Amino acid sequence: MKTEYCIGIDIGSTCAKTVVLSRDKRVLLQLLQPTGWSSVDTAEDIRRRLEEAGFPIEDGTAVATGYGRVSVPYADKCVTEITCHGRGACHIYGAGQLTVIDIGGQDTKIIRIENGAVSDFLMNDKCSAGTGRFLEIMANTLAVRPEELCRMAAEGGGVSISSMCTVFAESEVISLIGRGEKRENIAFAVVDSIVKKVSSQAGRMAGGQGAVCLTGGLCGYPYLRQSLSDALGCEVRTAEEGRYAGAVGAALCALALEKQRSAEK
Amino acid sequence: MSDYVSMWKDLGMDLESHDLLCQVLPTAVGDVFLTQENRPKGMDFWDLVISEVHGIRPKELIEEQKKGRKVFGTFCVYVPDEVILAANGIVTGLCGGSQFWVPGGEAVLPKSTCPLIKASVGARLGRTCPFFRIADMYVGETTCDGKKKAYEILGEDVPMYIMDVPQMKREKDILKWKDEIAAFARKVEEFTGNTITVENLNEAIRIVNEKRKALARVYNCRKAACLPISGRDALLMMQISFFDDPVRCAQMCNKLADELEQRIAGGVSVVPAGTKRILVTGTPLAVPNWKLHNIIETSGGAVVCEEMCTGTRYFENLVDETQTTLEGQFMALSQRYMKTNCACFTPNTGRIDDILRMVREYQVDGVIDCSLKFCCLYDTEKYGVSRALKEAGVPVLSLETDYADTDAEQLRTRIGAFIELLNG
Amino acid sequence: MAEGDLRWYILFANYEQGLALHGLLSDAGIKNRIAPAPRAIQGELSCGMSLLLEPDAVEAARRCIEEHHAEYHDIVPLAGQIRSRRDKYC
Repeated sequence: MKTEYCIGIDIGSTCAKTVVLSRDKRVLLQLLQPTGWSSVDTAEDIRRRLEEAGFPIEDGTAVATGYGRVSVPYADKCVTEITCHGRGACHIYGAGQLTVIDIGGQDTKIIRIENGAVSDFLMNDKCSAGTGRFLEIMANTLAVRPEELCRMAAEGGGVSISSMCTVFAESEVISLIGRGEKRENIAFAVVDSIVKKVSSQAGRMAGGQGAVCLTGGLCGYPYLRQSLSDALGCEVRTAEEGRYAGAVGAALCALALEKQRSAEK
Repeated sequence: MSDYVSMWKDLGMDLESHDLLCQVLPTAVGDVFLTQENRPKGMDFWDLVISEVHGIRPKELIEEQKKGRKVFGTFCVYVPDEVILAANGIVTGLCGGSQFWVPGGEAVLPKSTCPLIKASVGARLGRTCPFFRIADMYVGETTCDGKKKAYEILGEDVPMYIMDVPQMKREKDILKWKDEIAAFARKVEEFTGNTITVENLNEAIRIVNEKRKALARVYNCRKAACLPISGRDALLMMQISFFDDPVRCAQMCNKLADELEQRIAGGVSVVPAGTKRILVTGTPLAVPNWKLHNIIETSGGAVVCEEMCTGTRYFENLVDETQTTLEGQFMALSQRYMKTNCACFTPNTGRIDDILRMVREYQVDGVIDCSLKFCCLYDTEKYGVSRALKEAGVPVLSLETDYADTDAEQLRTRIGAFIELLNG
Repeated sequence: MAEGDLRWYILFANYEQGLALHGLLSDAGIKNRIAPAPRAIQGELSCGMSLLLEPDAVEAARRCIEEHHAEYHDIVPLAGQIRSRRDKYC
């Protein structure tokens, strides 16, 4: 039976993203949901939602990615999030030469794309500095939501956090609060810390051609994008679908897999 | 009841802790080695040795000690086995490769010490490794700061001799290393009570050269497009060669090489055609450290070469066998050992030349440069290694890891992505 | 054979017995592999070596043992020992 659509499922540490693409690569469906504590349950929920939306798993080809990729029993294949984010970003930004910065929930990746394929990549080590998780924890400490923190940061300045370690940085934030520092200034310091960490990582991949693009959950935060552009000395592009880049890439991998399978038949 | 338990007791080992180690090894061996299909028959020998890793060889060593022979434990491929063999001594490698020993090392060493050093110290102080108990003398060396300082602590518990390894490769450094070898020879004579002569040293040189040639034969087979042995199996062979009797080691490796050469001729490969060929380079993988190879080879890659101390650095280059004076032999030894390209030397561009050469020889698709956490020397060299490889158009992935299982998923993502990149 | 399935281990008092049977089984074309004896079934034996059999080889192995009066300690089934991506190292 001929597959009419391809499914990409990106189970990240915080959010699960699902994208259904037609054979001519149009987006037919986007789903976003928190991963929760069980990626197995999340995968099952995604299967149900796809069915309800008229895209039953049985009739499509599915590729899973993200740290929860191994928990998707019905996926035809697992592909790493590096490859998926790279491919997804190429598709979304319509370019073959790119540097992709993906700020995820638990890791940050810098992916170099040449001629439409991943040519090199870097990931942060076992540490949450410069990740979405860092932002989330600091927002919690300041009793605001992450997007509010980024908005507030635009109004602040003059304060910095020196610890890279999330736990130490949190206690720095707490002592700033204790000192009566303005929340906007603390928010500024938090974003500044993420930007410095990410841009120094990106700096190690310097020298590539083409635009720099942001993907992942922090795409929709204009202040973060602006600070990152300032730190890197070039415009960092974002797109609305940026946070779906991994899922789009996975769906593209599913499309390639489907083509390969029908060629083998 | 077999006699291993009483042997371990006689060695003063902590039997209760040791039993915990004995519980994890079979699982790891099963997962890493017995999941493979179509392994060379010759691997039987190494399967037996690893199954009985704290039994067969320790028992042999103790039997030899009863005959008056001395066992020297070493930690570095710069320490010349030939000198020890010439005086009828026995060499055994002592580098610790298990997370099991790390907490014991951390009890006395800074946390920011590399896991190999922590595990080695932990294995001794925790009394859970027979080899660390059996060795009559430890031979250390001044390669890295972590080891140098750890030897001071080990030296409080066991006779310790330190060789001063040069840090540069000028003519005077080669002369200095020759003098160090000569001084070591006097120490070995004194400790064993045996005299080193031109004849017994030449015989020892010949024995170790034969072992190197046998290991090289197995590695040569890995250069073939038809890959007759997995990286995991080759690594196990290499790791055990540090513990085995050198003559038997050469015999078994030659037997394995015979089989591998036949496999190549018959087109028998352990991986499907087109499997990406990986060269791993960096810090040593002491037994039972199999994490990196297992992850690479269960992520769609095949390891075809190790530019490591547990790899090509151990067997490349032979010692001149034609010298007729001790002075000449010591110089020949120094010249051979000083060709080994370790990151403790500056400059160390020879290592980059080696890597580029091996990329060609072993038909490598991509290089994984992996260092143990807190090894400043190899970590720093990653910059130059990756630049040289990129200039040569060879994809490279730089990693840092330790002995713990906790980063396995992160390694799987990085290594998986790297192999996806190679597959295009 | 799926990973983690039931497999059989022949246990020995010492490795000499194990190697002897390994030779006999291999000569008879019965697939068997040298494997460390899982600690869970090793009991008081300190011999580290065992022979690993797939379930379909157990009967043939028993016959071979009987025929040659080969020495062994026990033949024990155990599941879940072999998983390539478990990532439990030692």
